[in-house]
Amino acid sequence: MTVLEIMERAGLKETNLSVAWVKDAIHLIQSSSKQKIKSRKQDIIKSVGSDDNVYIMPPDMIALESISIKDTSDGKYKKIKRIINQPSYLTEDTSP
Amino acid sequence: MSYNVSEEWYYYLRGRELILYQLLGGSSNTRISQSGVLRSRGTELMYPNENIEDGLRVEYTSLNEPFVAEALETTTAYGSGINISFANSGARISTAIANFWDTTSGFVVGDKIRVQGSTSNDGDYTIDSFGGGSNVNMVVSGSTVTDEAAGERITVTQIPKEVVSASVSETSHPNVNQGLCLAVVDYVKAMKAEAEGDLTTKEYYIKEFYSKLGDNEGNKRKISMSFPSAPYAVR
Repeated sequence: MTVLEIMERAGLKETNLSVAWVKDAIHLIQSSSKQKIKSRKQDIIKSVGSDDNVYIMPPDMIALESISIKDTSDGKYKKIKRIINQPSYLTEDTSP
Repeated sequence: MSYNVSEEWYYYLRGRELILYQLLGGSSNTRISQSGVLRSRGTELMYPNENIEDGLRVEYTSLNEPFVAEALETTTAYGSGINISFANSGARISTAIANFWDTTSGFVVGDKIRVQGSTSNDGDYTIDSFGGGSNVNMVVSGSTVTDEAAGERITVTQIPKEVVSASVSETSHPNVNQGLCLAVVDYVKAMKAEAEGDLTTKEYYIKEFYSKLGDNEGNKRKISMSFPSAPYAVR
């Protein structure tokens, strides 16, 4: 179905506005039903400082699907588990 | 070297940050020195203690390729065989079968394709032209073609071709199937109703939108439910 067909079905004449709304709709679809999955890899660094275990999530992320770590013994990426709370014995995390 | 990562690595989400932890005292091939004392307290966590190239993989959804050049339902060209070879010279993907690419498989110039099963040429390409006697060669671009002889079972599948944001027009297609396109129509109608101040109609179409999303998900799941009926149940 083309953008034009969508516009005709909805009774719209403004193309740019229609394209923007279609993008919003796809954004919502990706948020709830995950039609198209993307992956991003980054290096893990050996921690020597306080923030070395902090990694930035992909800026274009809508919904997180999974986090995996490369198991270097067999070269495969394996999903890891999420911890709900940050380790409670730390008040300020300043050392690896 | 990292072992048993699924059991010994954990992540914590803090806003837009991902914090990695590793189980202290987990699997390692590092020998503990005579002078060193490993102090472990059960489930204590530590920061990752090794460098791993491309070690963290995040899988997520994003607004990538929201518009494509043709409807998903028409991207059906497909070819497979054990006689497909690759040549760096001329960026060719070849087969010995006459008109295998254009007639048998249904590819046309401009299609985006995905190669799978090859030793060194898996990836996405765009078809630039067909050539050779009976169009046995497919000239491609988009990724580097490495010389590879026939032998492996290789599949070539047409995939949707993205329309970049600057080029999106009325002839572009949303990168979703027909069912979800109908949901998109409902969403656009809802937004139009909202712009006109008709909130009741907006609510109606938003409900329709999510109903169609649910239908689309339900169509992927083959679930049957049956309930035993009691001996004296009214039927």
